[in-house]
Amino acid sequence: MSSTVAQPGTDGMPVFAEDMPPTGTYTISDEVAINESERLLTLNMGPQHPSTHGVLRVVLKLEGEVILDCDPIIGYLHRGVEKLGESHRYAQVVPWTDRTDYVAAPMNNLGCVMAFEKLCGVESPERAQYWRVIMSELSRIASHLVWLGTHALDIGALSMSLYCFRERELILDVFEAFCGARLTTNMMEIGGFSRPIPDGLIPQIREFLRVFPDRQKEYDDLLTANPIWLARTKDVGVIPAETAIDYSLTGACLRGSGVNYDIRKAMPYLVYDRLEFDVPLGTKGDVYDRYLVRMEEMRQAIRIITQCVDAVERMDTPLMAYESEYVIPPHKGTMTTAEDMQRHFVWVIKGISPPVGEAYAAVEHPKGENGYYVVSDGSSIPYRFRVRSPDFVNLGVLSHLAKGAMLADVVALIGTIDIVLGSVDR
Amino acid sequence: MTDDLTTESPVQEETPRDPWARELFFADDVEQHPAVRELREQFGEVVVDVVRFRDETTIHVRPEYLRQVSDYLRTHEQLSFKMLIDLTALDMLRLRTAPRFDVVLQLYSIKNRVRLRLKAGVDDGQSVPSVVPVWNGANWLEREAYDMFGIVFEGHPNLRRMLLPDDWDEGFPLRKDYPLRGWKEYPSYNTERTVSRTRTRWTGRGA
Repeated sequence: MSSTVAQPGTDGMPVFAEDMPPTGTYTISDEVAINESERLLTLNMGPQHPSTHGVLRVVLKLEGEVILDCDPIIGYLHRGVEKLGESHRYAQVVPWTDRTDYVAAPMNNLGCVMAFEKLCGVESPERAQYWRVIMSELSRIASHLVWLGTHALDIGALSMSLYCFRERELILDVFEAFCGARLTTNMMEIGGFSRPIPDGLIPQIREFLRVFPDRQKEYDDLLTANPIWLARTKDVGVIPAETAIDYSLTGACLRGSGVNYDIRKAMPYLVYDRLEFDVPLGTKGDVYDRYLVRMEEMRQAIRIITQCVDAVERMDTPLMAYESEYVIPPHKGTMTTAEDMQRHFVWVIKGISPPVGEAYAAVEHPKGENGYYVVSDGSSIPYRFRVRSPDFVNLGVLSHLAKGAMLADVVALIGTIDIVLGSVDR
Repeated sequence: MTDDLTTESPVQEETPRDPWARELFFADDVEQHPAVRELREQFGEVVVDVVRFRDETTIHVRPEYLRQVSDYLRTHEQLSFKMLIDLTALDMLRLRTAPRFDVVLQLYSIKNRVRLRLKAGVDDGQSVPSVVPVWNGANWLEREAYDMFGIVFEGHPNLRRMLLPDDWDEGFPLRKDYPLRGWKEYPSYNTERTVSRTRTRWTGRGA
């Protein structure tokens, strides 16, 4: 009888109830010792779980409610953007970057285009730079609104998502008026903007600037001093400054821990060195600090957009650096003269061929440092197109944070890192 | 004012230039770059090549010293390249004969506000020391580089596929000899129309 119970390789564990020893022959502590392997529960969370913000899968090893080990598994949305970038011409690569972080697409376009411009040595005109700042700061607010809505929804504040998405619509309307698309904008071009700015756009942005601060105060009133919100976010997921640097965190995850690294201040690109704004820093590095940092970033973005709109309102300078040899010439004459049409045809078919070399350009994305590393071999196709997405690197800290935390905090931790799986998986 | 005009200006003393001045990081002569200078002093022959392009400095080092060089740059008091921004690889198949790959590290110094790029050439089948003991952030980045290029990082705690599935058996997709659509033949779906197509009007008025 005993031979049927203890099979080799099964640790002698009884499989069926009739194989169990009769009750009373062992104590509870014996049972704990016997069932050591059963005491630990492996829980699979995702990839279709709503609070994982997409298709993130987290395998958790639990003891009761405490997490012993956490293994994030990604790649369910991997589309090979880098490989695709290495098989398309330079201007064709830009639309692929929309699809990485689709809640802040203008930012991705900007980083990619800036890397190409750096490689070619092109500088976009001043007015185009102001418009690029306006669009990227609008996308920062849009991204933070999605983050706030979903993060609060995960933690239990359902109404926040309704409010946030309401305001996000206003920004998407601006994008639609500017370039015709709401989500995958493909807004930036090498050298600036080739199309004129629509007439009613500045009043539309001003209307948003007028409305938004009051609306943001509503979120503030709902959350910042809310005892439930405080209980779920204070002292949860603390990242000390040293750890944040060690794990290569960027963006609000780094600044929430008190490390002052904002690319807009450290290495100003576009016209950021002429604009007045502050970089909010956290003190402790918990979920609540990162929430405060992102809320303040939205207010600073409003400040930046206001300055840019004031500056750009009466500006009538060109939007595209047509004098450069790497910028596609204007479409103007193509309908009338054969030579212009041929020239344009060659441009569009062949594209640009930057000089041999490599360039790395990074922008301060809502989620952190979004870097593009481009290597050119002199042909019209990038030799290497590397996307350094901020949330892929930031997500690496999740397993470190989750160890020792409670199961219910995992959704707060995933939310506070602010991931978009399109950007994590690329 | 008159005093200023009458007094002889003293002979200009030879003041030693500040070896850590910010403009040295951006000097045209790349040998003046403090990181290059310090690495040459400390490691000598380990620095293979130094390139400067578009205001960016790239230091090529020998792969077996990658971890020492990284640790030196991170812990150096003045250089203080504390952040590993990015780690990736580069397949140089069409650009040179050997070595085949470059491991590329983008470093950032919060103190000096400068970037630096480290490169280490590594051949196919050769391994390169992992920098996870130096920066924990390299963990996922090295896994990704292994996943995409097949570069083995010696000493990595958990080197397995990152983005592709664990049972992926088609090689490493970002290598230059890997075709865009992969090696395997996949069935092409629905190329022959099985349901006959009926012509519809779409004038917007229905029917």
